[in-house]
Amino acid sequence: MDRWILFTAVLLAAAAALHGARYLSRGKRSRWTVMWMLGSFACQFIVLGLRSELRGSCPLGDIGEMFIFASWALTMCYLAVGSVFRLSLLGVFTAPLVCFLLSMALVPGMLESNPLSANHIDGWRESHAAFSVLAYGALGLAAVSAVMFLVLDQQLKEGDFAKGLFRNLPPVNELGLVVRRLLWLGLFLLTLGVISGLVMKASGDSQSRHLFAAAGQWVAYLLLLFISAWRGLPLKRFAIATVILFFCSLLIFALL
Amino acid sequence: MDLICMGLNHEAAPVQVREHFAVEADEQGVRAREIIALSTIAESVVISTCNRMEVYVAAEQADRGIEYLTAYLAKNRDQERMNYLYTKSGEDVKRHLFKLVSGLDSMVLGETEIFGQVKQAYKQALEAGATKGVLNKLFQKSFAVGKRVRTHTRIQMGQTSVGNVAVDLAEKIFGKLKGSEVMVIGAGETSRLVAKSMMSRGASGLTVTNRTMSKAEDLAAELDGTAVPFDQWENVLSRVDIIVSSTGSSEPVLKAAQIQAVRRKRKYRPLFIIDIAVPRDIEAAVSEIDEVYLYDIDKLQHLAEEARESREHQVRLCEKIIEQEL
Repeated sequence: MDRWILFTAVLLAAAAALHGARYLSRGKRSRWTVMWMLGSFACQFIVLGLRSELRGSCPLGDIGEMFIFASWALTMCYLAVGSVFRLSLLGVFTAPLVCFLLSMALVPGMLESNPLSANHIDGWRESHAAFSVLAYGALGLAAVSAVMFLVLDQQLKEGDFAKGLFRNLPPVNELGLVVRRLLWLGLFLLTLGVISGLVMKASGDSQSRHLFAAAGQWVAYLLLLFISAWRGLPLKRFAIATVILFFCSLLIFALL
Repeated sequence: MDLICMGLNHEAAPVQVREHFAVEADEQGVRAREIIALSTIAESVVISTCNRMEVYVAAEQADRGIEYLTAYLAKNRDQERMNYLYTKSGEDVKRHLFKLVSGLDSMVLGETEIFGQVKQAYKQALEAGATKGVLNKLFQKSFAVGKRVRTHTRIQMGQTSVGNVAVDLAEKIFGKLKGSEVMVIGAGETSRLVAKSMMSRGASGLTVTNRTMSKAEDLAAELDGTAVPFDQWENVLSRVDIIVSSTGSSEPVLKAAQIQAVRRKRKYRPLFIIDIAVPRDIEAAVSEIDEVYLYDIDKLQHLAEEARESREHQVRLCEKIIEQEL
């Protein structure tokens, strides 16, 4: 049941990406992108609810659930930030990443078919997982906005203004501001996640390794924001660093 | 009721004739009211812009309406000037008005200002009590058609003048220009126009420099900016966001090394440079700096030309919509 709903969420995100890209090629923005994404978000929410029922705890018990949770956080951030910043185009760029994360969760072996119900709930562990994955949502969306900036920067540098995408992308400075704000939000959530992780009871080497990696990730993001605020950084390098850091952060899943 | 339109525009008459027929912006309602006092004319709207003066009337009899309206317009005007007037009636009036509000009859094809000007003229006539059922219906319909044309075609897409192309690009980089600082190197006519466009869209500061200081001071005074001596403009480089350069120098005026030197001080903020000069004022290597967006006059002119061609291609589509609405 949960897999079928998850599959529907993938299809809806794919529809958002394809439909939005088709409109964009004609130089228009589709108001339906946000609707498809809203549908996908609802499906992801239902899947997480079902998994939560099965586990009797926060649905972050296996890698598949973490992918779904990360995708849910990313979609939620898009729905919140996209409308606040009038970045409707963000959906077209976010949808493929959501599609990718959800598809990873569908890979056999990622989602446990019969997850064990939790006997004991460690509040700190749950907080660590939830805050960290929410941070992934904000940091993922920052990476998506950074990609949008890189596309616009390339078009401005090459004088390639004819494409519909160029007309619809927000200005350079606005994209820079959005990336920066999302990184600060992500860093704040990650801080809560790391603190919760440090407080929770350590239960073996793998736990320590991934906490160490999470702390490293936290330092890297802090450094990036600090350098950018203190001495300044060309937006292009800032955007590239944001994208690279996000993909490096995904490697932490491998340490779980 | 018969519809009549009498007037002249930039295609029909030179500016010396147009200015003779021009009506002051806040006088359009008064004139419309005067016209309905004429026999057989029940309703009237007077539209006067820098490119046209047109009178739209609803008359009980078209031929008598034209006769009285001609007589009204001929007051204090010689026959030579009157010969420039065109007269339209019936469906042609509707077609002409729909084209007018859609920007198809404008000097700059597809421009949007005319929509607001017609609306303003109609509002004045309405408030002066010069319109009733026929013209109210016609003008309301024309506004709906104008909106439909602009929504369903690309008639207004792109900018057709170099100044506006530059402003659009600046807005693509900085968003709103409010708070942006502009520096003009060389006080030529094109750079004056570009700087003027930037200031009119909200740029907050302007610095002008020129080898002849008096020219820099004149331009700075005109655009409410500051003039700096030509040997001191580098000091301003760290705080400006937009540079417009158009000197007659045969050597590059701005080199990559000069920008590299102030990058840190600028905190790597985006820098938009427009090089209007031939030979070019800005060293080509400047465009390789990450945060610099450099464009020369050819690029801007090419973009303006592309927009003009695109608008011309859209005319047929616009006319099709107008025919459907008639």
